[in-house]
Amino acid sequence: MTELVLKNVSRRYGNTLAIDKVNITVANGEFLTLLGPSGCGKSTTLSTIAGLDRPTGGSISFGDNVLFDAEDGTFLQPEARGFGVVFQSYALWPHMTVEGNVGLGLKLRKIPAAERNKRISEVLDLVGLGPLAKRYPGELSGGQQQRVALARAIVFRPPLLLLDEPLSNLDAQLRQQARVWLKDIQRELGLTTIYVTHDQDEALAMSDRIVVMRSGKIVQLGTPQEIYRTPVHPFVASFIGNANLIEVTGGAAAQAGGCDVRLADGQVIRAQTPLGNLNAGKQLLAVRPHLISCTKADNASEVAVEFGMENYLGDHFEQVVRVAGTEMRLSLDEPRPRGGGKIWIRNEDAMVFEAER
Amino acid sequence: MSHVTMTDMPHMPAQGAHFDRARLAQWLIFVVTAALMLAPALPILLQVFVDRPLYAQDWQFTLGNITDIFRSERVGQVAATTGLFAVFSVIIAQVLGISAALLIGRTDMPGRKLMGDVLMWPLYLSHLIFALGWVVMYGPSGFVTQAIAQQSSAPWNLYSIGGMSLVAGISQAPLAYLYCLYGAVRSVDSSLESAARTVGAGPLQVLRWVTLPLMVPSIITSTALNLVIAVETLSIPLFLGRPARIETLSAFLYGEGIASSSPNHGLVAASSLLLMMLVGSTLVLQRILLRQGHRYETVKGKGSRPMPLGLGRLRWPLAALTALILLVTVVVPISGIFLRAFTTFLSPLIPLSKVLTLNNFSKLFADEANIRAIVNTVEISLISAALGTALAVAVALVVQRSTFRFTGTLEALAYSPRVVPGLITGLGVFYAAIILPPMGWLRGNIGIIVVAYVMATLPLALGVIQPAIVQVSRDLDKAARTVGADWTGAMRIVMIPLLRPALLGSFILLFVFHLKSYVIAIFLMAPGLEVMGVSMLSLWTNGEVGLLAAFASLQIVMIAVLLVLARILFKVKIYD
Ligand SMILES: Nc1ncnc2c1ncn2[C@@H]1O[C@H](COP(=O)(O)OP(=O)(O)O)[C@@H](O)[C@H]1O
Ligand SMILES: [Mg+2]
Repeated sequence: MTELVLKNVSRRYGNTLAIDKVNITVANGEFLTLLGPSGCGKSTTLSTIAGLDRPTGGSISFGDNVLFDAEDGTFLQPEARGFGVVFQSYALWPHMTVEGNVGLGLKLRKIPAAERNKRISEVLDLVGLGPLAKRYPGELSGGQQQRVALARAIVFRPPLLLLDEPLSNLDAQLRQQARVWLKDIQRELGLTTIYVTHDQDEALAMSDRIVVMRSGKIVQLGTPQEIYRTPVHPFVASFIGNANLIEVTGGAAAQAGGCDVRLADGQVIRAQTPLGNLNAGKQLLAVRPHLISCTKADNASEVAVEFGMENYLGDHFEQVVRVAGTEMRLSLDEPRPRGGGKIWIRNEDAMVFEAER
Repeated sequence: MSHVTMTDMPHMPAQGAHFDRARLAQWLIFVVTAALMLAPALPILLQVFVDRPLYAQDWQFTLGNITDIFRSERVGQVAATTGLFAVFSVIIAQVLGISAALLIGRTDMPGRKLMGDVLMWPLYLSHLIFALGWVVMYGPSGFVTQAIAQQSSAPWNLYSIGGMSLVAGISQAPLAYLYCLYGAVRSVDSSLESAARTVGAGPLQVLRWVTLPLMVPSIITSTALNLVIAVETLSIPLFLGRPARIETLSAFLYGEGIASSSPNHGLVAASSLLLMMLVGSTLVLQRILLRQGHRYETVKGKGSRPMPLGLGRLRWPLAALTALILLVTVVVPISGIFLRAFTTFLSPLIPLSKVLTLNNFSKLFADEANIRAIVNTVEISLISAALGTALAVAVALVVQRSTFRFTGTLEALAYSPRVVPGLITGLGVFYAAIILPPMGWLRGNIGIIVVAYVMATLPLALGVIQPAIVQVSRDLDKAARTVGADWTGAMRIVMIPLLRPALLGSFILLFVFHLKSYVIAIFLMAPGLEVMGVSMLSLWTNGEVGLLAAFASLQIVMIAVLLVLARILFKVKIYD
């Protein structure tokens, strides 16, 4: 089985670490997504895999081939790795036609013209651009350019496909369609894929597994369900699912399970900690806005709050409530009148993490 | 297309094979550049510390040349004159250039486009031609001087430091104008100026408080460049200074190294070093001054052209004044050259019809050496421009688009000719050809001049090509790497085609530069190796002004035709 393995890969720029001891294993045929806010090191990670950037530490291997090893100085040039890459900017060569862009990889592999043309038209048909083969990139729409970029990356049948935010330059509607389309092609070809995005919906919808990154480090690695349902870090809870993060105090808890935490004004919330490992004192409570209810529920803590401003977001309202000197966002079908009121948070929806130091 | 594995891929290059080809190419570029830059510089350094010419036998190390320089009163005098001349001419160039940039680039002055074009003329011509034009019209026996002197005594003396500075200042004003125009006036985000208007500044206050301060880096850069050019220029001191026994460093070098029957090579090399240090310190000063450049960095505006400032009632008077200055300082001297070329003698006392002649031209073409000079010049310029552009793009790509280990050193080497005046480049190549065996085979053929030209103008070519490379997204060559091209392949398939306009621009710029060049080849002259510029210089020395004017007219026409062709055929405007 060919597997991509990153071991302790680091990339240092002067004094800053763009990525810090990243460990990832990608299985054959898998769709793995790197997810995180801008500047967290996703593109850097992808570049080190493609060979476009040389890490400053660690090792990368693919199957039996060592691509990079800081110890003995091994570094396989990008052209020798042969991975397909789709750039965020598409990076189509403006002086070559669609055909020329797609065919260069085959030409460089010295594939005879007849075979080459067959493959080019095959792949252009696959991405639905057959009739546009003679056009130049400047004569294509954003969505079409993105398809050419994909065709160029898969035409030489790479063992690994790397995509850096390929949909981020498309408008919202096109992005939805392209997401489905891209996933179909990946599944059809059985391509091992690493996909970079900062869009949580994209990541949840497309991935077999997700790597959540922050400040150059991996925070959590798991299936979309695991990431969403059992975040292991408050950052994951807030980045995926927009959870409210509230500072609370609570007792020590070594094991995962139920626990009580106290808001600054003394109100107590029954919660659960997914990891345990809590020290007594400052802790962080994470609650997703749509899981907070304004009607009484079973197994739920009642919290007195002050209802504040609401925003209309089309299919729902987002309303701010003030409690114990901080704010929480609620997702509601109908806004509540401003002023004093009550909310209920179910015990299983309130997740407690150790406070960040 | 079905499930694929690594072995499925055709033509997976063996590890390291391509690695070597790219590294080899990069090392080759590095070594060629280093050899080209150091070969002429090192012999000069050596000559400074040697007691007799390098080509002589049994030389010994000495510090005598340096002590000679510091003891020589003449060298002190020459250095002071050089400094004075340089400062005056730079002040004139900057004042004219900056005012022109503001007036032509930012206001609604009538005729500004035409005047902007005329202002550029001196830049396309050599100092030699421009100085000739001034001598013919405004020299002590010049046409205009004589016309005025009929009533009174001569109203001015061109053969003075003031006169030299004026001619040099006007011929360098276009450079200041260009830098300020493109570095600031045109590229400053117009919203910065609009913002000043919204807080209550009038149009002139905007110029004073926003536009002008933002021009500071361009002013510093062009000042430094003009200082360097003023220190190096040869023909202006030679034409205008020599008759009045005013001597600058470059004229001194020329006198000692070429005109003298027994050249003192030690002294020449030592004063070359002095000159290089002068130039080098100017450039260092420029860097220091620009270190706070970020204060002037402006976010590039999103397209919107700034509205020209209205001059109101001053519109026509300012236009008339600008036109008059251009007429007197640029148009008249250049017309003078053509006038002189077609006459036997130019004087306001004799009607033109009596002196009209084609004699100058027939004499010019009668001499085979002159024909040879023209052929040589075109040949050398073509080869040097092509080789220079090729070397520049190779160096720029290694510096900007590779992981080569010594890119910093390579860039410093490539820009080092900036501190070496053209005269000294020629001298260095001359020495190198004598003492370095591999360069010996260049002696006696045009190769030796090509080497000097390519070296001297590498920074110029880089100045055109490097900004163009910045414009090409890095993703484009990275993408080529991911589909299987090695570094050389990515550069050849993606970068070079995308840089075509810049390469063409660089080629034409170099071609014009070489065509008009006269200093670099001075030390490399040999029978059969004549080039136009140097032949023209000796025509002057022999007092053949009519012939010289004919030759100069020819060169002006050649350059004009070339520029017009470039504009029409390739849509290339040099100096844009
Ligand atoms: N060439 C570079 N020089 C210095 N810092 C860089 C460079 N490239 C990236 N970085 C830094 O590395 C970090 C990660 O960047 P990147 O991988 O592009 O983030 P992402 O793709 O997740 O938005 C950022 O903080 C960025 O500033
Ligand atoms: Mg990125």
